[in-house]
Amino acid sequence: MFDTELFWRQFFLVLIASLGVFFLIDLLWLRKRPKRTEKQNRWINILIGLWILSLFWMFSGLITWYGVVITIADKILSFSSLALATTGIVLIFKTSITTNFAQGIVATFGVFFASVVITRAAAWGWSGWQLAMFGMVCGAIVSFLMGLAIDVFIIRKSKYITSVGKQMITMGLVLVVSGLIPVIYGIPTLSVPRLSYGDPILIPFGENMVSITPHAMWALVITVVLLGLLFSALRFTKWGLGVRATASNEIVAGMMGVNTRLITALSWAIAGALGGISAYLLAEGGSLSVGMMTATQVNGFLSGILGGFSSFLGPIVGAVLIPVLSALFFYVSSLWSNALVYGIILLIVLAKPLGLFGKKIAKKV
Amino acid sequence: MDPRLRLRDQRKHQFQQIVHHPYFGFVLLGGLMLFVQLIQSLGVAIPVSIMRAFGLTMIYIVIGLGFAILLGYAGLASLGTAGFVGIGTYALGYLTNARGFSVGMVVFYSVLGAIILGVVVGFISLRIEGMYLAIITLGLSEILNEIFKNAVTITNGTNGLLMPQLVFFGTYYTVSNETVFAAIAVVLVLMMFFTFNIIKSPTGRAMLAMKNSESAAQAMGVSVLKYRLLAFIIATVFALVGGILYMSYIRYTIPTTWSLAFSLNLLAAVIVGGSRSIWGIVLGSFMIFGLDLAVFQRIIVTPDRNAAIAAFIERFPEHQEALRTFFVNLQQSLPVITYILNGLLIILVVMFYPGGLYQLVLTIKTKLVTAWKNAVRKWKVRRYGQEV
Repeated sequence: MFDTELFWRQFFLVLIASLGVFFLIDLLWLRKRPKRTEKQNRWINILIGLWILSLFWMFSGLITWYGVVITIADKILSFSSLALATTGIVLIFKTSITTNFAQGIVATFGVFFASVVITRAAAWGWSGWQLAMFGMVCGAIVSFLMGLAIDVFIIRKSKYITSVGKQMITMGLVLVVSGLIPVIYGIPTLSVPRLSYGDPILIPFGENMVSITPHAMWALVITVVLLGLLFSALRFTKWGLGVRATASNEIVAGMMGVNTRLITALSWAIAGALGGISAYLLAEGGSLSVGMMTATQVNGFLSGILGGFSSFLGPIVGAVLIPVLSALFFYVSSLWSNALVYGIILLIVLAKPLGLFGKKIAKKV
Repeated sequence: MDPRLRLRDQRKHQFQQIVHHPYFGFVLLGGLMLFVQLIQSLGVAIPVSIMRAFGLTMIYIVIGLGFAILLGYAGLASLGTAGFVGIGTYALGYLTNARGFSVGMVVFYSVLGAIILGVVVGFISLRIEGMYLAIITLGLSEILNEIFKNAVTITNGTNGLLMPQLVFFGTYYTVSNETVFAAIAVVLVLMMFFTFNIIKSPTGRAMLAMKNSESAAQAMGVSVLKYRLLAFIIATVFALVGGILYMSYIRYTIPTTWSLAFSLNLLAAVIVGGSRSIWGIVLGSFMIFGLDLAVFQRIIVTPDRNAAIAAFIERFPEHQEALRTFFVNLQQSLPVITYILNGLLIILVVMFYPGGLYQLVLTIKTKLVTAWKNAVRKWKVRRYGQEV
């Protein structure tokens, strides 16, 4: 059902034409203006948005809309856990201005703990769903505490180090924690149960049915609820205001009476907890390994870049786009799908260096 | 004055001139490596794994030097080094195996390719800055890794590419490890000269100005475009040369080596050692790569294979079994412990010595020199009495 030749013809036509148009507009029109105004930015956004939509339209022509929908339904689990992990990374990027490489390994530590707790709690006679929920919450709490400890004992003490230096610290943490995991939990293989082992949920789509596994459905629900809570907290609570103030300028926020230490510590802790839940969802009943979150970590950074680190919602759009696009490109070439998606991200970021939803922050010289 | 005394003074002066020449240390390091190789070839029993650790560390120093110019001088953070080194290894492997290119030609083409690649990444760096650049180069490195995995006709995919022989002027030769080791030492010294000249020249100063404040540098007439491209070209050329050296030394390359972990380790080596000095890079590479390869991987505490531990256990007859199991377990978890120690080292150095270990060495050296001078002065006072 898939016509590869037609795809390449269309794809390259769309790709090259849009790139040419974009850079032509950029060079001939936008660069000549004294600075990019809101209106121009909106035009660029519309262009890129149309381009992404045209990608989907192209796929709908190639594998029908039904094919597109089942591909997306298949990737629900990936993008919900990626969205959680990415939000953690963005939260830390905003408050501590560094890319946290330890996000994945802290999450892994938490999910290992969850697995141990579940094996202990199995004797208490709970149902499978209760056990899984209990384990997930325990794992999230451990990741929460670990994030808190990292901030209190390490990041807070290294306030005046450059962001690359902080990045190195998180990298050192990756080494330490990935060494600690086998020491604490031992070598034997561990696993965590799925949230639900029920039959796939069928959702009608036209004449056909789209099936989603219950675990993925639960993952989607949990992600939406958690992110909804987080965003409303960021929007409406005092903590959220503090985070936004700290993100815009830590020193000034401190002068205005914002407790930046508490804000930063809580951000690290919440990022850890989000990571823990994301790792639990991603494990999907399989066995755990130390490197299970590495790919999610890299994709999290890339979706942050794609969506723009300066906004909170943008990275989530990025986190949804990356797995979906790579699943769609899988039809084109099973080998090159990832490389193609990374290439597309590179092009989009070149066109819009601050990401799809990023805003330019004026900097004093 | 006694002419003999004057001659001695003259000799002393000449000697000091040589010792204090900036190249002296580099030549000394290269000479030391060549000497180690020489005595090993002459029959002194230096284990092969130690020689391999030295060889690999030297290659990583070469790559680290290029990276230090990029990070420490131009202030551009990149996580794409692994991909570039990988390109170097595959270029040599493929061109030698399938095409029969001479090593010189491979180096020529690689440098040409590195310049093109550096220009491309440099242009990307004009639009994207800071942490964003690090992540974008990480994405680039992932793309390169996918290419290494999937372009099976060139790279032999995930099985890795084997290169048993090198070509010199159209003829295949099997080059011994000893020769390659010596070649690496020579290339290392040359690269150190090159780096030293870059960082002490107007180019290095312009890059440093650009790192500290781009706007100020531009105001002083430094072309950001030129120096960013130059920094990336230098880093890429160094990385590709490192890859070529790696391939000729190890003779085998596999995509999993050129993953994110390699870039991060290199970053760690440069940051831990100190990104602003050549000796810092040497120290950092040794700390991150050399110590692990040469020391930690060779520690054996199993009582059956280590006489000292066995003797130690003999002294406690009542706890013999417990001690024996403890040491056997320790041996098993040793790789993990080195992992943890390495991580702790990175964290501690970055937290307390942001300038790197080289800064620590300099501080200790200054303190020792001061202590020595004080001691000499006190001794003189005691011997000859207080000066008035």
